[in-house]
Amino acid sequence: MASVSAQIKRGSAELAVLTLLAEHPLHGYELAKQIEAQTRGVLRFDMASLYPMLHRLERKSWVGAEWRTLPNGRRRRCYRLTATGRKQIAPLRAQWRAFFQALESITGFQNA
Amino acid sequence: MPDWEQIVRQKLQVFGIGPPKFAEELAAHLEDSYEALRAEGLPRQQAFQYTVAQIEGRRRLRIVMWFLQEEFMTGFIPKVVLPGLITAVAARVFYWALALGNSSPRAIWLVGGQLPRWWWCLLPFCASLGAFLSQRNGGPRLQRMAASLLPSAILCTWALIVFLTGFTMSGFVNRYQSASAHLESLGIVPPGFGVVPAVLSLLGAGIAEVSTRKFPPLA
Repeated sequence: MASVSAQIKRGSAELAVLTLLAEHPLHGYELAKQIEAQTRGVLRFDMASLYPMLHRLERKSWVGAEWRTLPNGRRRRCYRLTATGRKQIAPLRAQWRAFFQALESITGFQNA
Repeated sequence: MPDWEQIVRQKLQVFGIGPPKFAEELAAHLEDSYEALRAEGLPRQQAFQYTVAQIEGRRRLRIVMWFLQEEFMTGFIPKVVLPGLITAVAARVFYWALALGNSSPRAIWLVGGQLPRWWWCLLPFCASLGAFLSQRNGGPRLQRMAASLLPSAILCTWALIVFLTGFTMSGFVNRYQSASAHLESLGIVPPGFGVVPAVLSLLGAGIAEVSTRKFPPLA
């Protein structure tokens, strides 16, 4: 699978995180793994990019976070989508759709 | 099982600042990573190395930069700007008081002008005031240092602007002024109004640090 440049990754990261969190709350590691699995390894976030982004989203109140004790007794900081964050998904999707359409009009690239 | 929180704290501690408030969260991530690698069948040592690599090298630098940024920006106004401005006002008042008592040290950027030596002596006390105020508002070490450095940063900026303007203008007006005189003032102003005050301010921050450790504030 072709690698994706850092800037495109960064731009798509927020949408990927918000979309996953719209389904159910996840902690950082789960988020990273799910993004990697669902994109077949094209999008991969290390700690140095994932957590600053999550904390930035939290500061913008797009996501909320709380410590939860898992069934195995371990504590994990779980992130959930807030009402404000939910409102951001549609505009972000629209922006990406417009981006892919623009790209398609130039290159003949087919949006999946 | 390695103590991931301890490892994170060790790796991310920079300039004696930290440990980061998010150490537990990062440690949890490393713990999950390590266990996943072990579940894939990697030997303990190799799994450990792969896991630790996530907070080493360039990644470590990025996390540390993020942490420092968070540390610096959280409560920036009450913990840095306000204490720093109060300190800067105090330092300015001292400076004027000394200027009134002494001969005029206003033309300081000129060769042969006075460097504010007495002001230098007072600067550590002003700077420690900044650090104290920042600490009172819950400022961490980085912000305490920034608050104590603010007066000298303001003075340095001001002195350099005045100096550069004066330096350029005198080059046009006083063509007879020798190159050695220019060089001499270049050697006086930036250290005199930049480096020395910054060092003395940091000394003040250090004094505040030591004294609050010895005499913790009453609850």
